[in-house]
Amino acid sequence: MKTEQSASTQSNPWMETIVSLEDSTRHRTLESLCEGLDSNELLKAASELDVFRRKTDNLYHRVRAHFFLAAIYRYYLPLTFSEERAGLLPYEAYQHILERRFPEAIDQLLTVQKNDGPTVAISSAIARAYHQLGIQTLADQVRRSVKTVRGNQWMFRIGHPTEHPLRLNKSLLQWNLEAETYPILCEKTSVRMDFSHSGWSDIFFLGMDYPEGARVLNASVNLGVYGRDAEPKPPVEAYLRVIDRPVLRLVSTDLGAEAEITEIDEVFDFAKDYLGLLKGALIASGVIPPAMEGCHRKMSELLATIIGREGCGLELVSKVNDIPKGSRLAVSTNLLGCLISVLMRATGQVPSLEGGLAVADQRLITARAILGEWLGGSGGGWQDSGGIWQGIKRIEGVLASESDPEFGISRGRLLPHHTILDEKHIPLNAREALQESLVLIYGGMAQNVGPILEMVTEKYLVRANKEWKARLRAIEIFEAIVDSLKQGNIKQVAELTTENFTGPLQTIIPWCTNRFTDSMIEQCRARWGSQFWGFLMLGGMSGGGMGFFFDPSIQPQAKVWLLDALVATKRAMQMRLPFAMDPVVYDFTINDWGSWAEMLTGTQAVMPDGYYAILAPKLIRKDLRELSPQSQRELMWLNRSCRSGETRARWLLDRILPQPADTNSHADQLKNLLKENGFDREQHEQIRTDLLNGRIGLAENRLPRQSVIEDVGRDDVIDLRDRSAWNDKTADGESGRQAIAANQVAVVTLAAGVGSRWTGGAGVVKGLHPFCKFSGKHRSFIEIHLAKSRQTSRLYGAKIPHVFTTGYLTHGPTENHLNEVSNYRYPGEVLLSRGMSVGLRMIPTVRDLKFFWQEMPHQVLDEQQQKVRESGQAAIMGWAHTAGEAGDYTDNLPFQCMHPVGHWYEIPNMMRNGSLHRMLQSQPTLKYLMLHNIDTLGASLDPLVLSRHIDSRACLSFEVISRRIDDRGGGLALVDGKRRLVEGMAMPNDRDEFKLTYYSSMTTWIDIDKLLATFQLSREDLSSSEMVDTAVRNLGNKLPTYITIKDVKKRWGLGQEDVFPVTQFEKLWGDMSTLTSIDCEYIAVEIMRGQQLKEPGQLDGWVRDGSAAYVERLCDFG
Amino acid sequence: MHIRKALITAAGPGQGALPLQRLVDRDGAEKTALEMIIEEIDSAGIESIGIVISPGNEDAYRRAAGPYIDRLSFVIQETPTGYGQALLCAKDFIEDSPFLHLVGDHLYLSNSGKRCAQQLIEVAEQEECSVSAVYPTKEKMLPYFGAIGGQRLPQTDRLYSVKKVIEKPTPTLAEQELTIAGFRSGIYLCFFGIHVLTPMVLQILDELVSKSNRPVPLAEALQELASRERYLGCEVEGQRYNIGIKYGLLNTQLALSLSGVDRDQVLSDMIELLAVR
Repeated sequence: MKTEQSASTQSNPWMETIVSLEDSTRHRTLESLCEGLDSNELLKAASELDVFRRKTDNLYHRVRAHFFLAAIYRYYLPLTFSEERAGLLPYEAYQHILERRFPEAIDQLLTVQKNDGPTVAISSAIARAYHQLGIQTLADQVRRSVKTVRGNQWMFRIGHPTEHPLRLNKSLLQWNLEAETYPILCEKTSVRMDFSHSGWSDIFFLGMDYPEGARVLNASVNLGVYGRDAEPKPPVEAYLRVIDRPVLRLVSTDLGAEAEITEIDEVFDFAKDYLGLLKGALIASGVIPPAMEGCHRKMSELLATIIGREGCGLELVSKVNDIPKGSRLAVSTNLLGCLISVLMRATGQVPSLEGGLAVADQRLITARAILGEWLGGSGGGWQDSGGIWQGIKRIEGVLASESDPEFGISRGRLLPHHTILDEKHIPLNAREALQESLVLIYGGMAQNVGPILEMVTEKYLVRANKEWKARLRAIEIFEAIVDSLKQGNIKQVAELTTENFTGPLQTIIPWCTNRFTDSMIEQCRARWGSQFWGFLMLGGMSGGGMGFFFDPSIQPQAKVWLLDALVATKRAMQMRLPFAMDPVVYDFTINDWGSWAEMLTGTQAVMPDGYYAILAPKLIRKDLRELSPQSQRELMWLNRSCRSGETRARWLLDRILPQPADTNSHADQLKNLLKENGFDREQHEQIRTDLLNGRIGLAENRLPRQSVIEDVGRDDVIDLRDRSAWNDKTADGESGRQAIAANQVAVVTLAAGVGSRWTGGAGVVKGLHPFCKFSGKHRSFIEIHLAKSRQTSRLYGAKIPHVFTTGYLTHGPTENHLNEVSNYRYPGEVLLSRGMSVGLRMIPTVRDLKFFWQEMPHQVLDEQQQKVRESGQAAIMGWAHTAGEAGDYTDNLPFQCMHPVGHWYEIPNMMRNGSLHRMLQSQPTLKYLMLHNIDTLGASLDPLVLSRHIDSRACLSFEVISRRIDDRGGGLALVDGKRRLVEGMAMPNDRDEFKLTYYSSMTTWIDIDKLLATFQLSREDLSSSEMVDTAVRNLGNKLPTYITIKDVKKRWGLGQEDVFPVTQFEKLWGDMSTLTSIDCEYIAVEIMRGQQLKEPGQLDGWVRDGSAAYVERLCDFG
Repeated sequence: MHIRKALITAAGPGQGALPLQRLVDRDGAEKTALEMIIEEIDSAGIESIGIVISPGNEDAYRRAAGPYIDRLSFVIQETPTGYGQALLCAKDFIEDSPFLHLVGDHLYLSNSGKRCAQQLIEVAEQEECSVSAVYPTKEKMLPYFGAIGGQRLPQTDRLYSVKKVIEKPTPTLAEQELTIAGFRSGIYLCFFGIHVLTPMVLQILDELVSKSNRPVPLAEALQELASRERYLGCEVEGQRYNIGIKYGLLNTQLALSLSGVDRDQVLSDMIELLAVR
């Protein structure tokens, strides 16, 4: 490894930290480096780091510099200057970032910063660009390393089928005359359980920079679902055989998918169907080398070369024994490894056709599985293919030596070292004790751990202070776990894994736990006391795969109890947290032989049952003469088999013949729900007609192209961003304080939406999601909003009604929850304003999908992920075309087929459902409402802001904030000279948004009487539903209707989730600013007050930049 | 070390008739493939030649041997049990001395003044050890050949110390075990079909055959040889032609003719053929 300790680097503490070989210097934390630096010093450090990162040829030095720079610009520099220096973001730089041209983006942004000085917008963009460049550099290096592993390189050279150097093992071509079958090679593989969890240290980036700290204890386990399976067995299986047609047939029995591939290029179309994993295995095993992508050759050519016989093909079948997705046991990776193994055995790359695998082969398959994951656009850790190996093993990072391709590039090797801990290391009784104590479960939550792994990487590379200490402690705990296991002291193992979870892991990533997990641990403690020994988190985060240790004497009873408790807790929380399915308890045994293959010959050469359930109906529908001899023989076999076994005959009939419709079908439920929730069929049909005619659509959301969009001037907003300017002026805010104290103010929190971005379209209630710990407890959005109102209420001795607007999805769960928790003992009135209308989602038009994906700005993904994304988009467009554009979307749970119709309706709903009327009657002093989004956590009844609203005498005062790079979606503008808010999708041109300084936070101060006047209503009129309905309709007609595309999840099978884009329409509150009859004002507030939490991935930055602390200061949890 | 004997193997399944094929050599003379192989051996100063054949082929081989019949000793392999077993059949003929070995389904064309076998024997006698002729081969041909891994001998251009021998390796294995410094990616040193072997090879084969009742490839014995004795690979100046594969005989004939006295005639015939077909 090169050392770059030149004189210049030694004199600069940042570079010295990066290049030092001394641990004490290399591990200096970000906090210690930034301590006491002012704006100029930070900019100087950033400038020197930027020069360094451009010069250094060492990958990890460069990456660390990128992350230091990202942290400086994201967390430290913005604190040193006023938010009034908002600045604008250059559109070209933003485009560079979206197109992954990060170096160009950085150059341009630094030039703007040099000329105009640092601003909020530029800092946020520079931070994003450095961060992404750091991640990209690391990903590129892992990819390069995977390619350069010896044994993988040739696959990137072989580009023509006739040059293929692999040959199928001749044993697979031995036709059995008696049974008339080709043999089947069957591989069975266990999954892996990591019961050390050394701080996500199996992330490649960590292992390659800090191999000393990368270590896990990994056991191969057989699984059975408790109560269903007779005994645990290897959960994943792969089958391979020769077929008598020159095609590649892929069958996934667990996902019910099959395809016959005739072109080589089809194998590289990963997201076309559910066979991506099988395709990845074919490529990673070298059967279809990656270099053949785009070769435009027939599959039959390649098959003839490999098989050595014209007219023959191959069939690859996968099977997962009903283990749910998201189990955190690396089921997918081990299935990939299993498939790769069977293919490598068949092509002689693994010498043993049957039986176990040699260590060298296990290493090779591990490397190929990593390659396969990269090809599929996913990426686990390096321990994930542990099920290929046998028993319990210690897996550790290894320092790169001269003979390694990584030498000189990274400190560690890509691939770790496996040490099998056999009976000499861990005695038999210790393993038995482990099995008798530990209960493995799947909690039912399927979550994307990608953002967590990125957070872990960044925190490691910048050596964030407490996180770094936590990592060091996790390493100590790891060694203690290994020692305890060797001694057979399972109670101590349990204590250590619990300490690891509650200490280091949650310090590094607070989001690795959640309310569900905490609740289960609490319940275990309460029910079993000292007989509950501890908790184990599996994988990237909790909620999915988890382990609970019990005293072996009560483990059987605890297992029964645990299943009931898990299901009950899930049921209680399923509208608050994204569960994919009901929890499951497993039986498990440690697998001592690793991945194992056997040849099924003669009458034993039969595929698993799931296979025939998929293939048989397809074959039966064909004319017998069209079937190949092999298929005909299989049908004959199935015939015989059905005659002797009634079960098989029954499922075959079920698959072929139509079933009577379910009387309480989803269609009926949907019909009733639409009726109950104010669905307007006439309007729906009009929208469908307009969509199909092209009168409305995504492109038509935009304002006319000739509209002139300009930024507002200084006098166009009331600027309250610089707190220090007015904090001392006691007179400021007086009118606001008086209004609050005089019970004139209420809060309206918009909680009717389905939080598509927050939950990925999972259909859970965002407002109830206990997403973050405050005062030692997970708190939901709703609890936090009530806590803020409580603090204001106590401070001013005021009665503050708090309204939550709800919709068809959120009303019931919100109402139940607030009842359960007694409104969190909020002293004032808590009201729910139920939505009065709902829409039915539609299948998008191909035109809108193309506009959405091709015209609207999107972050381009890393090369391989982008390929997978585009392949998926092509499949979705095919779906929209065949399912019928603008058709009703009904192929999902009823709630998932409906949509809220936009937040403009929320205040009108308060008028229509009578809640506003009731509020005004019970508290006639009310004059003002503060309306805000559920995710605007900093919004509070700030007397100063309120006073500005009162003093301005406006009907509506909209709060705006200085725009940062993440704040996309419109803002405050002069449109043809008139001040108003413009939605992002209404911008005539993508560039226009980049002219705007202010982003709308949606928080709005409302003068109730003036607003009613706008509707041509008075307080008294609110009692007349007819007048209200007419008024709402009349005003609504003046506002635009937007067509939007949102993601919706469809859940199926065991924890499987598909995401579909669907079309819906909405009217938006910000468009009230377009009405000339309404007097609007705009108040610029600080970012922490106005920023919104749209995605869970924002949480970490939100805590680190002080926003969470800001919100907590506003709260009183009683 | 002085090499006096040579052994040809021609008893493999489907191989029996190959050496009997007639071709026109570089000088324009019509000969059997067997005669050409024997000429290759003869040029290296070999005194006696053994040939392992299947039962019933001896008469045909006698006719095909032409003027060299007197120098030939026939060894019959009763059943085609394997390549290693074929060599073991000739143990009595070899008599515990180093020997030259060629396969019966290949012909060789030298690029230098010396024939390929001669080049190899000179190296073996100079280095006093077993030497296999090797040739840089693209990875797509790996399913057809044995291949070696090792290091280039210091101060030499064409000699390699053999550390690993694998019969028909997969590219995966080749990349892990057979990469040689100085060669481009995807190029491996594969056997040329000519070896000079010490009696130790027969001893190893004996051990391997007695240990298991299965066909023993020569490569397996050569791998063991590399761990017991000094064993070299030699990049010979020449080309090999496999007459046993599809169009192998045609390719071999074209190679012979295009490097011999009939070059112009063959070329003009080919052009004429191209013009009409």
